[in-house]
Amino acid sequence: MIIIFAIDALEYEKVEKFNCENLKQMHYGRTDISEFSQPRTMVLWSSFMTGMNKEKEVLKDGDKEMWDKKWDIKETFFSEFKNPVVLDLPGYSYDKKVHDKSRELLKKFFETEDKKEKDKIRKQYNKDAFEHHRKIKEQFLKAIEEKKEKHELVLGYFSVADVIGHLNFGNTTIMKMIYKELDEIAEQISKKGKLIILSDHGMKALGMFGDHSEYGSWSTNFDTKLKKPKITDFYKLITELKN
Amino acid sequence: METLKMENLKFVIVGHVDHGKSTLIGRLFFDTDSLPEGRMEEIKAICESLGKEVEFAYVMDHLQEERDQGITIDTAQTFFRTKKRQYTIIDAPGHVEFIKNMITGASQAEAAMLIVDVEEGVQEQTRRHAYILSLLGLDQVIVVMNKMDLVNYKKERYKEVKKELLKFLNAIHIKPTYLIPISAKQGDFIAKKTDNLSWFKGPSVLEALDTFHVKESAKKKALRFPVQDVFKYDKRIIVGRIESGTIKVGEKIKILPSGEETIVKSIEEYEKKDVKKAEAGKSTGIVTKDKVFVDRGDVITHTKDLPIITDTIKAHVFWMDKVPFKKPERLLFKCATQEVMCGIEKIERTIDSSTLKLISKDAKEIKNREVADIIIKTEKPVVVENFNNVQELGRFVFQRKDTCAGGIITDV
Repeated sequence: MIIIFAIDALEYEKVEKFNCENLKQMHYGRTDISEFSQPRTMVLWSSFMTGMNKEKEVLKDGDKEMWDKKWDIKETFFSEFKNPVVLDLPGYSYDKKVHDKSRELLKKFFETEDKKEKDKIRKQYNKDAFEHHRKIKEQFLKAIEEKKEKHELVLGYFSVADVIGHLNFGNTTIMKMIYKELDEIAEQISKKGKLIILSDHGMKALGMFGDHSEYGSWSTNFDTKLKKPKITDFYKLITELKN
Repeated sequence: METLKMENLKFVIVGHVDHGKSTLIGRLFFDTDSLPEGRMEEIKAICESLGKEVEFAYVMDHLQEERDQGITIDTAQTFFRTKKRQYTIIDAPGHVEFIKNMITGASQAEAAMLIVDVEEGVQEQTRRHAYILSLLGLDQVIVVMNKMDLVNYKKERYKEVKKELLKFLNAIHIKPTYLIPISAKQGDFIAKKTDNLSWFKGPSVLEALDTFHVKESAKKKALRFPVQDVFKYDKRIIVGRIESGTIKVGEKIKILPSGEETIVKSIEEYEKKDVKKAEAGKSTGIVTKDKVFVDRGDVITHTKDLPIITDTIKAHVFWMDKVPFKKPERLLFKCATQEVMCGIEKIERTIDSSTLKLISKDAKEIKNREVADIIIKTEKPVVVENFNNVQELGRFVFQRKDTCAGGIITDV
């Protein structure tokens, strides 16, 4: 089984800082996303699953509308695998309702001047993110353990580091708790198959908040020849793993 | 402002890396209500959201965060309070930092807590850290047997580990003031005496700490004023930190090692006029009546009760560098503000700090984590003391590029 632990905004520097040994498997490093004009989540995951730079195609839909994008399985490497499970991936199986709600709360947070209101929004925003995380985690671990269905590939997309990071990146305690949680998941799944841990981009601090950084990160529990790969390089790597 | 007036006791927590130091610190802060409002609730809420038990160790991250943002006043220390006094926990991320801080006087602990995971038992690092406590002469020591919850609070296990540890501590002449079974995670016997350990009749950790004594002020001891620098403005101000004793305007003083004598003309402090005296612990500046030769590294004393001026020192060192010492290497000897090159003339014996086994007599080298009795020969005379008399001039570090060993002077 191929397992892809797709983590939005997993920051390489924080993985090092918080000593997350399981997020750094046999091989690991940064990815090169310099071919893209900006580190956009939808663009990067679309390019990852299709193996092609999809920036123009995604952006022509518009900032808001691009979140409706759904690639056909035939355009992705998922079609190469029997019974794949792809959880919550932007551009493929994304739960738009949940993510729209968090974007809406984020907008409200920055619009209001009222401190109490800000606190209230932040609490709700964080609560929703954690709830969603637990749901995806449960489905992801269940799919990996499922023997009957014989999934050849399981991908779980985890947005918690990105969503929480946008409002709380300067809060080291919260961020460490999240990274340790992701590290524990990596530990749990590291012996269940060929594992690829991948982020679209990282995150940099903007005061107490966080913004996307201009590189992503990767790690595998098997030997690869990757050095500083592009996100599109994983298409070939993954399809070759099947053979 | 109340905090500033309260008595303060500084202590350090040492022990094996996974034996629960961070959790204990987190619990001490939580149980004494010393965390900013809402912070623990936030940690609890996230742990619950992630479906995990509350992790007190995250309090340490919060404290680190405060430091990073410059919220806490002192960058290396954190505070909590009981009804009796304020406590400062000195950060000891590793034994190298701990020894370095203790010896250079950057953060002087008056008491120590040695933490042992009762499930895992005494480890090599536990013994090594205990040895360091004995080396540094710390005699107010609490041994906390942590993680009692993991052994179902069994008295038998506590007694087993206690027996093994006491055997080692006796050998290095540490007599712990208290041995307390605790669970930092569950909060047993930190602030509260819980029923889980009803068989234990001793104090809780906070009760034990409150019985300790704050180190007697060094102001009544002989004057030791190591010179940090000499500033020349319209006056010539000699600055430094008074390690012991009191200096007063009009007093006769001696500058060592030269032995020149003069009189204190004035004491200079920022934005203060007519300062008549300065006491131990104070960083201050003085102006002398005569234009004496004085430089960084000199030590100012009164004319009686003098320290020793020598180039031959007997000492006990703890080597903490991966690269061993081999004769005839030259090292930088640093004691108070004195810095001078030296050699180690003789390595009388080397000992393994965790097993206490004699490694070698009349040794040729000292390896990482070994303790050695040595004779040092400095390139020029230094002003020192026996550690048991005046600690401030009785401790030193050796430096290559970084600190590679720390020690105490046993004889001069």
